[in-house]
Formats: sequence, structure tokens, C-alpha cells
Amino acid sequence: MPSSSQLTVAAGYVAAGAVYVALGVWYTDFLFSFFVGLGYLLLVAWLVPLCVRRIF
Amino acid sequence: MSKWFVYGIHIGGWDLKATDPVQFHRGWPGVGFTHSLLYGVVIAFLFWRLLGSKTWAVSFLIGQWAHAITDTGDTVGTMLFFPWTIHIHFGAWAYAGQTGRMTDAAAYFSGPGAVWDLVWIVYGIFSWRVLTRSYFERHVYAADAFWSRANRFIPLAALLVAYRAAFFYGTTRWIAWSLWAHVVHHYPYDISWGGPHWVPAAHSPSLTWLQLVGVGAIVGAGVAIVVVSRHEFGRRSWAAIRSRT
Repeated sequence: MPSSSQLTVAAGYVAAGAVYVALGVWYTDFLFSFFVGLGYLLLVAWLVPLCVRRIF
Repeated sequence: MSKWFVYGIHIGGWDLKATDPVQFHRGWPGVGFTHSLLYGVVIAFLFWRLLGSKTWAVSFLIGQWAHAITDTGDTVGTMLFFPWTIHIHFGAWAYAGQTGRMTDAAAYFSGPGAVWDLVWIVYGIFSWRVLTRSYFERHVYAADAFWSRANRFIPLAALLVAYRAAFFYGTTRWIAWSLWAHVVHHYPYDISWGGPHWVPAAHSPSLTWLQLVGVGAIVGAGVAIVVVSRHEFGRRSWAAIRSRT
């Protein structure tokens, strides 16, 4: 079974996924390119958390 | 890569679209040869010789063969044994690329193709360990020099996110397209063989008995080569071990 820290990481990706799905359903052009998905994930799963940690 | 010309795009005052999208995407003349086993071998060989990476070559070969073989599941199929231009097709789900990208998406995510994608998503979830940081560091990062080179400019945390992006994208787009097709637009599900039948699918002609015999001969020869080479490799390995002792 995954550890609690692994589940926390997974929960973050699930939340990022829920936002991506909502954006994709609203604006389907968002779903056509893997590279758009990659850029989105780098933004919300790495860059934003990094900036938040630096600021606070 | 060729789908934009199949669906058509509008740039400025220009409309760019293949006059026969099915022929262009899967046929010859056209770019259908990109869905063949030989194309995978040629590009993998170029990756190996020009980029000097066996890992990239083998990875490309596995991915491209998986794509070409999976696409034999629809009603048009692929020229798997190009330059032999017959289309191998099982007709499990409707090919609807010629109807445009929205109808194509709605059809794909309403038929057996969507179920097939779901099988791989579930398989990925059961294999969750390959998405962990420890697996990435121990097995992926260590096996491919690309990651250590990229790590000179990009932090490991960002590389890990990029590694996970393939599974993330595959899963979320499946969910998003399914919601778009069935919650927003109410396209009907039809997971019967060859479905969905509400879309005007394109079809390839059935293979003749002579063509089936030819396909059987190619597949049989391929299996025989693998079996014989494994057998010979095994014998040589034993001979090498015996000579050392």
C-alpha cells in the first residue's frame, strides 16, 4: 500500500487533474496536445508550489 | 503528428485539409506508412545510430509498434506490413477521422476504443509504484543519460513531474473527453463491436484468403526468427559459461 506521504502527493495530482478536466471540458482545445498538458502540470505541480514555498 | 491535416485547420484565409483524410492518414500514397512495423524499425535505427541511445531506440520501437498495432483495432486499420499496402484491421471500433476532430472524439470516447483506453488507465493505476519518486530515481533516471543531462539545467523535482505527465495526460484527457461527450453533449454510448454505429465510419475492404495466407506467413516467419534466435542465444550463453569454468 502507498505511504501517507505518497498518498498526499497523489492527492495533489488528483486535484491538479480535476482542474485540468474542468478546463478541458470547458475549452476542448486544451485537451488536444500532450505538451499543453505537460506545461500545465509543470506549472501547477512544480512551479506554483516552488514559488509559494519561496514566498512563505 | 499528421492528424491536423486529417481534421483540417484554418490559418488566416487558408483552409488546409486532406482531400481524402482516410487515404492521407492511413493509406498509400499518404502517410499511412508511419503506422507500419518497418517505419518503427527505421526510425529506431536512426535514433540508435544518430543519437547513440539504445534506450531511446528500443523505447521508440515499443511505442510506435504499440500505436501501429493498436490502430489495427479500428475499421480502417493500418498497413502494418508496409511496403505491402493491405490494411490489417479487426474492426473493433469505428474510424471517424474524416468526420472532423469533435465528432471523431465523441465517437472514439463512446465506443470500444474508450474501453480499451480505460483498460490501460486501470493497469497504470495498479502499477502506481512506477510513478513514485524512488522508482524514477532508481530505475528511470539511472537508465537514461537524458535525465542526468537535463538535470544540469532543470531541478529533479521538475523532471519527476515531467515523467509523470504522460500518465497524467492520458488519464485526465480520457475523463475530460468522456464528460464532454456524455455529460455536456449526450452522445450515446455504443460499445458493441465496430461501434459506435451512429457515426459514419470509414472501412477498409476485408482481406482475401490469399492475403490472409500471406499475413500468416509473415507472422509465422517472425515468430520462428524470435524462437530460433532465443534458442541459439541460449546455446551460445551456455557455451560461454562452460568455457569459463
